[in-house]
Amino acid sequence: MSNLIKNELIKIFKKKNIYITLCVILAFVILTNCIYKFFYHSGSYQEYNDNYIQYAKEELAKLDPNKASDTKMYIEIKSTLDIYEMIQKYETGSWQREILSTQLASHVNEKNTYLYGENKDSQKVKEIDETMNQILKKLDEGDWKYFAEQELEQAKEELTNFKEQKANTEDKQELLSLESAIQNAQIDLEVAQVRLNKEISYGNDFRNTALNGYQREAKNVINMETGTQELSYNDKREYNTSLEKREINRYIFENNVDINKTNNVRGILKSLFSEYGLFIIVMIIMIAGTIVSEEFNKGTIKLLLVKPYSRNKILLAKFITVLIMIVFSIVAVVAMELIVGGIIFGYNSLSIPVLQYNFTTQNLQTINIFAYLGIEIMTQLPKLILLATLAFACGTLFNNSAVAIAIPLLGYMSANMINMLVIQYKVQFMKLFVSLNWNFEEYLFGNLPQMEGMTFAFSAIICMIYFIVMIIPTFIAFKKKNIKNI
Amino acid sequence: MESAVLKCENLSKKFGKKQILNNVSFVMQKGDILGFIGPNGAGKTTTIKLILGLQNITEGRVSINGYDIEKQFTKAIKKVGAIVENPDLYMYLSGYENLKLIANLYEGIDTKRIDEVVKLVRLENRIKDKVSKYSLGMRQRLGIAQAILHNPNLLILDEPTNGLDPEGIKEMRELLVDLAQKEKMAILISSHNLAELDNLCNKVCIIKNGEIIETSDISGIKKEAGKQFKILEVDDSQRAKKLLPQAIVMKNNQLKIDIEKEEIPEMIVKLVENQIKIYGVKEEEKSLEQAFFEKTGGNVIE
Repeated sequence: MSNLIKNELIKIFKKKNIYITLCVILAFVILTNCIYKFFYHSGSYQEYNDNYIQYAKEELAKLDPNKASDTKMYIEIKSTLDIYEMIQKYETGSWQREILSTQLASHVNEKNTYLYGENKDSQKVKEIDETMNQILKKLDEGDWKYFAEQELEQAKEELTNFKEQKANTEDKQELLSLESAIQNAQIDLEVAQVRLNKEISYGNDFRNTALNGYQREAKNVINMETGTQELSYNDKREYNTSLEKREINRYIFENNVDINKTNNVRGILKSLFSEYGLFIIVMIIMIAGTIVSEEFNKGTIKLLLVKPYSRNKILLAKFITVLIMIVFSIVAVVAMELIVGGIIFGYNSLSIPVLQYNFTTQNLQTINIFAYLGIEIMTQLPKLILLATLAFACGTLFNNSAVAIAIPLLGYMSANMINMLVIQYKVQFMKLFVSLNWNFEEYLFGNLPQMEGMTFAFSAIICMIYFIVMIIPTFIAFKKKNIKNI
Repeated sequence: MESAVLKCENLSKKFGKKQILNNVSFVMQKGDILGFIGPNGAGKTTTIKLILGLQNITEGRVSINGYDIEKQFTKAIKKVGAIVENPDLYMYLSGYENLKLIANLYEGIDTKRIDEVVKLVRLENRIKDKVSKYSLGMRQRLGIAQAILHNPNLLILDEPTNGLDPEGIKEMRELLVDLAQKEKMAILISSHNLAELDNLCNKVCIIKNGEIIETSDISGIKKEAGKQFKILEVDDSQRAKKLLPQAIVMKNNQLKIDIEKEEIPEMIVKLVENQIKIYGVKEEEKSLEQAFFEKTGGNVIE
């Protein structure tokens, strides 16, 4: 038996195909790493797009602010353009830009309303101009703390306000919404304090991104917890996502580690299967689809079948070889990324752990990147094995390499689409469909699976059934096959 | 008979309703070289595939060294070496790598044995080259090498002389006779090239339309096929034909006639009396090929 497997491996590694495929994959790995290295930039908040500005200018020229139907549109576009002009002064990703596009936007809009709207009021315009000038002055001075302190003050003020209101009301409905508002204000307060204590400036900085993310997700969590409506299954999943993001963002600004950075070896390894998953699948399908069919096409199957091994053993040896090649393909791609990524980015990032929120124990776990990769590979294996088995079965049953490669690839691609549709429209009976079950990542760390009512055991059984349904007829057909003239 | 190397009993094979083989039976002993002769489509390759377990047997049984091919496949096939149809080898491997793959599948074949076999089929100069660069003849030799690598006692060769030059055919014939005599190997050769089997086989099996029509020793089939021919060379074959109606006219004013030795003087007198000049009378032994055509009645694919 081991002799048969050894021979199969020799045959695979003596063929040029595998080296050509590996070279193509290597080229794409290099390309991916280079793009991340030289062209990557993270946009944490929306930057203005030159094309849009050009378009806005043209639109503005067409509109007449004095015509009632155009007024609203005119004000909107004018405000955008005003802010754009102010922003030009500061460099991309600077904190000033963020303040301008968040805090100043409402002032500009208000000013334009008084300038062009129905109720023109030059007094108000003057007042707003003053406030804006003050803000602009602070921007030019580089005093970001001023804004943070303002946020702090505002949050404190709101908090006392809400608390007072709460003491004075007895309406249950209102109490609930006030409670929610108080918690929201507390988050604002906390964020402003953290910003000042840790000196986290606005702008394009991962700590700021994390802090903003924390604020957003924490509020999401509060709103869902204090909401009066029963949470639907999808809401619960969303709630879990927010909970996880909140904890991860908190970890980032507390520990000052850029966990979410994607443009380094760790970032690419972490999302190995979304970056290179298709390469691995293509390679596996190619090997599994040809390992039997090629012997038939070339006539060498006769050479193999007159050796003192039963047909079951011969086919089993080939299948085990396919399983070995799945592991090989994954290892090869990981090794390529480690080498290429290491040369381009260096290995420093590998010491940063991966964060995972555990929903059962309700706390954040830190996992070594390689351990995380190991878990990720384990969750992908069922899918890879099932696709390889499909290719293997097609190759054995139809003796046609092209069919054996095309069918699993088609199946894999349409499965993604079907998954999306089924989840969107909650097609219950499709729970029995394999592609909804082969992603075991869903069940890790106590998270809720994509569809209600699915469990790990259920998915495992479904995958097993599909596997058996494919593999047993393959073995029977191979055993009974008449070797025709070739 | 316990010592039979290969025993086919009433083999029948049907593909759907079409009867490919019908009641094929024969036996091979140690050291036998059996010529398996038949026109294209007669069922030679199908018989070989049934013997090797490559196709299911509809009826009848095959036993090799006492083991049933269907029930005890691995035991039965263990001491069999074969080439079916073409010498199908892994083209992207070298000759040596191909042999190494085969050697891996049997116990106790060391590199010494591989070298020995390579020398036996005279491939030592090209054995490290890729098989895709081999000529058909060289692939045939490599095919024989892989078939005899594990010292089988039954060797089955399906049209092994395809693509070999006359020198190669002669070498192979010597090799096979050697294997049969020294190693006591039983060798089954299917072929439609009868001339080469003439001096090689000691047994012959003639198959036509899926049925065995003759099994016998090679000398027997020739004897049985008829008496020797007499070839007459005359000046006017047309006139001679009128006098001798049973004769067959051949080119160069030759006549072929099937008569006993005692009748020759009488025939000569008859021709001379009619002023036909006789240049010569000779005997011709019937070749296996002629016997074959007489038995099969030509090549009919049904």
